[in-house]
Amino acid sequence: MEPTLLKPTLYTATGALLGGRCACGHVFFPMQTYGCEVCGRHGADLQPMTLTGCGRLLSSTVVHLHADKARTAPFAIGKVALDEGPVVRTLLVDPDREIAPGTRMVSRIVPIGDSTVDLRFALED
Amino acid sequence: MARTLKDLRPVYVVGVGWHRYQNPSDISYVTLGVTAIREALADARLEWPSVESAYIGTALLGMAPGRPMLRHLGATGLPISHIENASASGSTAFRQACIEVASGLSDVSLAVGVDKRNPVRRESTGVDHLAEDAIAQFTHFSLLTNEYAHRHKVSFEDIARVAVKNHRNGAKNKNAQRQRERSLEEVLGGKKVAGSLTALQCTPIGEGAAAAIIASEDGIRRLGLDGGRAVRVVSSTARSERVYDAGLGFDAVLTKETAALALAEAQISPKELDIIELHDAFTVEELHYIENIGLCPEGHGVHLLKEGALDIGGRCAVNPSGGLIAMGHPIGPTGVGQIGEITTQLRGEAGARQHPGARTGLAHMVGVGAVCYMHLLQKP
Ligand SMILES: [Zn+2]
Repeated sequence: MEPTLLKPTLYTATGALLGGRCACGHVFFPMQTYGCEVCGRHGADLQPMTLTGCGRLLSSTVVHLHADKARTAPFAIGKVALDEGPVVRTLLVDPDREIAPGTRMVSRIVPIGDSTVDLRFALED
Repeated sequence: MARTLKDLRPVYVVGVGWHRYQNPSDISYVTLGVTAIREALADARLEWPSVESAYIGTALLGMAPGRPMLRHLGATGLPISHIENASASGSTAFRQACIEVASGLSDVSLAVGVDKRNPVRRESTGVDHLAEDAIAQFTHFSLLTNEYAHRHKVSFEDIARVAVKNHRNGAKNKNAQRQRERSLEEVLGGKKVAGSLTALQCTPIGEGAAAAIIASEDGIRRLGLDGGRAVRVVSSTARSERVYDAGLGFDAVLTKETAALALAEAQISPKELDIIELHDAFTVEELHYIENIGLCPEGHGVHLLKEGALDIGGRCAVNPSGGLIAMGHPIGPTGVGQIGEITTQLRGEAGARQHPGARTGLAHMVGVGAVCYMHLLQKP
């Protein structure tokens, strides 16, 4: 059985991110048609654009405490500047290690339950 | 061309008051709010019926909490507006009260911030995120701490010194939620929340109220108020986030843009600032903001901190109230309370917290969104 993506509107089973591109050239994530944050164009001026999931780490942190008891600490959060432009904040595969800013990162699809998978970021191979 | 506050008629803070910021309690928000307002009225030597309009900064009390509170001062029929702008709710209420008086619509207006610690509810925009459900405010600022320490080769211990200073200031403030001096070891040794951030480097959860009464020169004269204790509001500036290049943190850039406008509007250079009350919900923020306000080049904030330049009695007293870390951050009250602290300092009435010779003060607040508000106050 194919595993279920936790957030299928945001990424594909191969770890590509579902972003968008405005007619003005602004690339954004995730895809939406409400309107462009740079120029205000909307609707069909905003077209889907698949983002590779490769980028550069801006910062990371290991979280020791979280209000939601279902989310067990520690876990690690990273801020990644994608090669196409958008900056995303994401969970990192390695839960208890800070990574040096500037490190190359890549998206990974990882199992998070019996039949569910989610997108995380890890060091590039 | 659009005008600034300084192009309108002069406005002054004539009265300030608080209900102490404190841990969540059974005390109703009505008691918190009217306590602060009565203190501000007494401070201004003003009767409630002379107040012509009221702006209530609050984020966590739900719909229209204002009149059920204000009626206990006497239901005079004055216009009431509620201002919700996240952490900047109180700063925004103050700005609106200033604009009301500066425009000539009122001679005397009230800005009051009041909140209880209730859960935050934000409607979904329909645009999902990868991991926002795993990112608390402290996680955002832990990421910034990590970035700042790497970029400027600064140790986490040195960043934590912001908390030592602000706890020291808060220990002298009867309205502060935390009134205890803390050593660097205590600050670093506390419970870790994310990365190097410890509980004593984060603002506490709390409740409280703060009030400020704003008046025109006509109002001061007509009501016989003490002009000698009035403090002039020389600028009011507000901005919201734009799209910045990857790697430029919006917190810092937004503050930089707003500070440049505020200082230009008042024709003041950063060197002239004697007091800054700023949004230090987390230690690294204070360094980011003083650098972007222009006290020193980027990455040099720790030097100023370590040489005592940011202490009361130093070059520029930053967060003499104790800031959000020690005085607390009950949301609605916080921005109004900053105005109260600066007013008290510029009047020379801050007692053990007095910064000698204080003449010019800057209040800085950011809020989720992100938005940024600044007010410059000066002794006439
Ligand atoms: Zn566009």
